[in-house]
Amino acid sequence: MAAIIGLLTVWGGLQLHRHRMYKMPIVAGPGVTRVVRLSDYSPGLKKTPGDTNVFFLEGKEKGGTVLVIGNTHSNEPASLLTSLILIENMTVEKGTVIVIPQFNYSGGRNTRPGDGYPLYFHIPTSWGEKKFRMGNRDASPLDQWPDPDVYIHYPDRQLLSFLDVRNTNRTWPGRPNGPLMERVTYGAMQIMRTEGVDLAVDIHGAETMFPVTNCIVAPEKSIRLATMVSLTVKAKEGFDSHVEPSPSGFRGLSHREIGDHSDTLPFLLEAPIPFLDQPTGPKTEKLLLDGKDPFLLKLAAKQKLFVPYDEEGWPMSKRVGQHCSVLLELMRQYSRKNPDRAIQVTNVPAYAEVIQNGVGFYYHDPTEADKRNVHYN
Amino acid sequence: MPLNGNHMSIQSQTILILVVMCAAYALAKRRKLSVETSILAAAVGGGLAGAVMRIPPLADLPRHLIEGGFTYFDVILVFTTATIFMAVVSASGGVNYVVRGTIRLFFNLRLIALLVLMIIILIPGALTGAGSVSLLVVGAPTALALGYLGIPKKRVAAILFLVAGLSAAAPPVNIWAMIVSAGTAIPYVGFELPLGIPVLLLSTFSVLFLGWKRTEKKALAEVLEEMPEPPPGMSGWRVALPFVVFFGLVMMYRIWPFATPILGLAMQFVIAAVAAWLVSPVRINILILSRDTVKRLLPLLTTMVVVGMLQQIMTATGVRGLISFLVISIPVVILFISLAVIIPVSEGLLTYGGAAIIGIPLIWFLDSIGLHATVVIAGLSLLWPLGDGLPPTALIGRLSVLVTEYTGSYWSFLRTTWIPWLVITIVGILMVVFSAKLDFLVRWSM
Repeated sequence: MAAIIGLLTVWGGLQLHRHRMYKMPIVAGPGVTRVVRLSDYSPGLKKTPGDTNVFFLEGKEKGGTVLVIGNTHSNEPASLLTSLILIENMTVEKGTVIVIPQFNYSGGRNTRPGDGYPLYFHIPTSWGEKKFRMGNRDASPLDQWPDPDVYIHYPDRQLLSFLDVRNTNRTWPGRPNGPLMERVTYGAMQIMRTEGVDLAVDIHGAETMFPVTNCIVAPEKSIRLATMVSLTVKAKEGFDSHVEPSPSGFRGLSHREIGDHSDTLPFLLEAPIPFLDQPTGPKTEKLLLDGKDPFLLKLAAKQKLFVPYDEEGWPMSKRVGQHCSVLLELMRQYSRKNPDRAIQVTNVPAYAEVIQNGVGFYYHDPTEADKRNVHYN
Repeated sequence: MPLNGNHMSIQSQTILILVVMCAAYALAKRRKLSVETSILAAAVGGGLAGAVMRIPPLADLPRHLIEGGFTYFDVILVFTTATIFMAVVSASGGVNYVVRGTIRLFFNLRLIALLVLMIIILIPGALTGAGSVSLLVVGAPTALALGYLGIPKKRVAAILFLVAGLSAAAPPVNIWAMIVSAGTAIPYVGFELPLGIPVLLLSTFSVLFLGWKRTEKKALAEVLEEMPEPPPGMSGWRVALPFVVFFGLVMMYRIWPFATPILGLAMQFVIAAVAAWLVSPVRINILILSRDTVKRLLPLLTTMVVVGMLQQIMTATGVRGLISFLVISIPVVILFISLAVIIPVSEGLLTYGGAAIIGIPLIWFLDSIGLHATVVIAGLSLLWPLGDGLPPTALIGRLSVLVTEYTGSYWSFLRTTWIPWLVITIVGILMVVFSAKLDFLVRWSM
């Protein structure tokens, strides 16, 4: 009996170990001009599991700068998939686009005990399936531990849940020598300060039962631009992404602290992710990708969801497509108002194209690519 | 296949898995296996039933069990280190010294004695958000003191259970409220009065209701005669120092959060235990003491491990989602009444996991019908600790019985709490129902 239990423990443990060690290839596209590390901006991250790749896509012409942040929460994978579409395809004509595809690098190597997530998900492409790690909302305790009994936000001293010390959407604006995740957000703040970032876009996913979903969250200084974008995508592309104001009393969030601690205009994009809702069926890879759930369908009929929900669910392509279109529109609207700081990009698919082609259409085969352009995260 | 076509099948699958889980648990209990082994049987049974439908696939089942076993790893560490700390204090004679002092000072001032002991139990839980810490740190001495005030062990255990539970709900740190706030994007601010006032009133009611009546009337001299003498050399500072070290470390982070390294509760208890060991007037073999303490705690720790496994399997198979769905689907009026059962049972089954699974969707829903989310969370926070007396986990209930050394049946102890339990439940539900009218408490807190 003991031998069987021992064998099963090793079996299960090995699966978790392999998940943590799995390296995902990213093929840098023609638009990528350089790849640096976040620790170049936050030296406290050097040789730590908080360090991560930062992709620069610089245009020939000078202009404005956008920072795109993916995987702040590594269990909201549409953000990573959107970031990868940019890195592997986008070319920048004017200005600079900076992409951090796996912002909470440690969270991407973490699992969520008690929540029964699959360890990986797979996106079909023309050259086979691209395999991704399914991560967690918070950094791994293997990388940042112990947690305090309560997390005291820097610098406002607001009391937050102890778990939030490992949540990179509660540790903004961060400190150079704070806990690891504060050093991560500090690195991003330094990018914004030193590179003169005009717009920062933090991409997320939220439950269908969460009021703040399918929206653009923006503080006072960004809300006008967010409203323009929301109205435009609704009129031009036919999907809803309403505007939610960033609450001033809730500290540590990117959409609040970036605006309060820099000249950058912050935006947080939310697209529905039914997988994260509590009242769903089994937590399978299929639910993660197609967003179809019978319990949510019933709750939608009782008007208990905050987004329209039908038998089509919320497929990944729809979520990624929304993020791509909102991002493109943000750059377009900002460039129109600030021609001297314009950002012009090409080869980024919009909502309808992503839905038509599927997300995997935009990923390149790392085995066929020039090795110098393949980066592992 | 259209979603509606799948609907029955997924619902049927999850119901079937739930039935298998219950059957496995019942079968294990029938074969007189322990609660912990029975929960494990339910988790494995549910996992195997799910594996037939590949939710999760059989090859993933060991990983789910291992991963789920770590759900409450931090809580396990805190329990272990806090209990070792108190075991050292107790072995040094500190507990006897404190109890003797309390009885000598307050024996004839019953009201003050009860209220002082209540505050002593409330403080560690309020500071750390864990009623278990209250029991592990001050449970044993206060239980003895209450006993010498003429309160039978069963009632002492009931007082400890209720007040320690309420201490976890008390501000400044309420982990249920923090988990729900974090999950619903509601700032964890404005909770001081909505939590502080009901916790103080309900704790006072519980202590006086259960502790006012003196069943044994003895003279102070007689009681002091009965009490064990502390070892020679034991003094106030020797008892106080380890507690000063522990609370000093907790407060240091609160006062200078950006200059104090994060040690975590487990390490803070270890440091305090070392301090207690160093100042003890008697020689203590800390290794043997630690080994015996862990042995004593093992059933409780095992429960935490297997409940984590069960929770993981319930989620992976959709059973947890089914339960959450059923709760959210209840009509509003019935929902308010059912909170009396739903909230404590979710805590008893999942501990803090209940706040995430039931609490978060519940708050979204109640907020959308015009209730005040902060007051609703505060109201629910009064109900969650009650679940810590319910199986399978019964964490605070079991610890209360453990530190009191009550040897009667667990249910007889739990029955003793029924009137304060009912009052707490009514207050909690009324706070939820009338939350919009109580929003001034939140405003006054800010």
